[in-house]
Amino acid sequence: MTDGAARASVHREACDPAAAPPLLEARGISVARAGDEGPGAVLDGVDFALPAGVLVEVAGPSGAGKTTLLLALARLLPGVTGALLLDGCPAAEIPPSAWRTQVALLPQRAALVPGTLAENLRLPWTLKVRHGERPPADEVLFGALEDVGLGGLVLDRDVARLSVGQLARVALVRVMLTRPRVLLLDEPDASLDDASAAEVARVTSAFVEGGGSVVRVSHVRADARASMRYRLEAGKLSAAPAPVPPQRAAAMAAPEVPHA
Amino acid sequence: MPETIGGAVPIGMWELVLATGFVLLTGALSVALGLKLERDLAIAAVRTYVQLLALGFVLRWVFVNQTWPIVLALLAIMIVAAAQTVLKRAGNAPRGVFGSSVVAMALTGITVTFAVTALIIRVPTWYEARYVLPIAGMVIGNSMTGIALTIERLFADLDSRGPEMLGLTALGASVWEAARPSVRTALKAGMMPTVNSMAAAGVVFIPGMMTGQVLAGADPVEAAKYQVVVMLMVAAATGIGAIAATLLMYRKRFTTDGTYLEPGLRDAGEG
Repeated sequence: MTDGAARASVHREACDPAAAPPLLEARGISVARAGDEGPGAVLDGVDFALPAGVLVEVAGPSGAGKTTLLLALARLLPGVTGALLLDGCPAAEIPPSAWRTQVALLPQRAALVPGTLAENLRLPWTLKVRHGERPPADEVLFGALEDVGLGGLVLDRDVARLSVGQLARVALVRVMLTRPRVLLLDEPDASLDDASAAEVARVTSAFVEGGGSVVRVSHVRADARASMRYRLEAGKLSAAPAPVPPQRAAAMAAPEVPHA
Repeated sequence: MPETIGGAVPIGMWELVLATGFVLLTGALSVALGLKLERDLAIAAVRTYVQLLALGFVLRWVFVNQTWPIVLALLAIMIVAAAQTVLKRAGNAPRGVFGSSVVAMALTGITVTFAVTALIIRVPTWYEARYVLPIAGMVIGNSMTGIALTIERLFADLDSRGPEMLGLTALGASVWEAARPSVRTALKAGMMPTVNSMAAAGVVFIPGMMTGQVLAGADPVEAAKYQVVVMLMVAAATGIGAIAATLLMYRKRFTTDGTYLEPGLRDAGEG
């Protein structure tokens, strides 16, 4: 049994949930707006249930609170009200740092620490929360980098010499190597060209096929592999229709008959 | 040669007037060249006169009438004033850290001062004001500068590492693990002036206390030994105080859930 699975099973036993709860559940999540913009809610009672093994896409206009939603789900935001559950287990029963190893956020701005590529990729195993777990071997790191089109990089490369698009993928590789159960991706392909974005989409869907779940926020590209789509607007989360395939979109572009 | 008091040449009214004359000359130059320094210079000169003579009279009185409550009360006043100065200089520190500042100053001021008077100078009575107060003044005054620098750098560096700390916290890092690089940067910055002055002492400049002792007629080697003790204890005091202040304060910028309070979140989360 892997250490990740061990951590998960501890929580499962501790909480003894009712029959098959969703992997991650949010009930009535609200976040008040902080800062200069005056009172108001960024998230206004959001309910959300994420089963295991699905890719969820959350779309919405800029500033609608998509990033706020991900921060709240990763328990990285103060002042959030409502309930969060992992495997039916209330957040209060799981220490925040352990929660974040299971529900892992990849922030939009990839922030690596100064040092080499290998140091950055193994950084999670220098943290107390993974004390005793073995960091991945060089071959594992190489394979993971190859999966996102970074096979040409050597492990002792200084990360200061990587491009923005390379940094974004290194950060993605790093968080996936920690094998979280839920991956929260904030605009993972915003700084990528189409070919790199396709590689990112491929590895995230491989992660989902392996039993993980992904919540992906985007406004640049829609992920065709998403099995659930939501739209976040005015602090509310609503189910959104599947994106329209190109040929149908062309047909719909024909002038509509005006209403009488 | 004038008569000496305990080895020192006494300074009379005439000598003070002469020293003042040089300052007046500088002031006159400032007026003549339109440098506009004269006002600041005059205020500073008057303050020097008033503050140092007042201190002299207070110390003379304390030396004669010393009791332990008086000595401890003076120490407490010095510590609280230093703690206030630290927070005034480190304007970016979170609210509610005055207590931490006092604790750090008191910890370093009291332990280092009494370690020196009891273990190195071996004063006959532990509250001997002639030793305790000047040494406490040097320890507290010098470590205050280092602590203020450390605290200012700590919170500036934390702010500059916001995105990096979010990434670390998202990977499961504890508050300490997220903050540690900033703690290291801040302590290095805060200790640097002290370390530099230790390295330059005796080569680039003669430290103030040793200069004073030599002028007061002490043997230069004896004065050097005192200066070594003073510099080492100032370094130790700065280090202990800066570490204590940092460890007591850095958490205040994080929530109990271990996330960093970015500037936009501070009013809500900061206590």
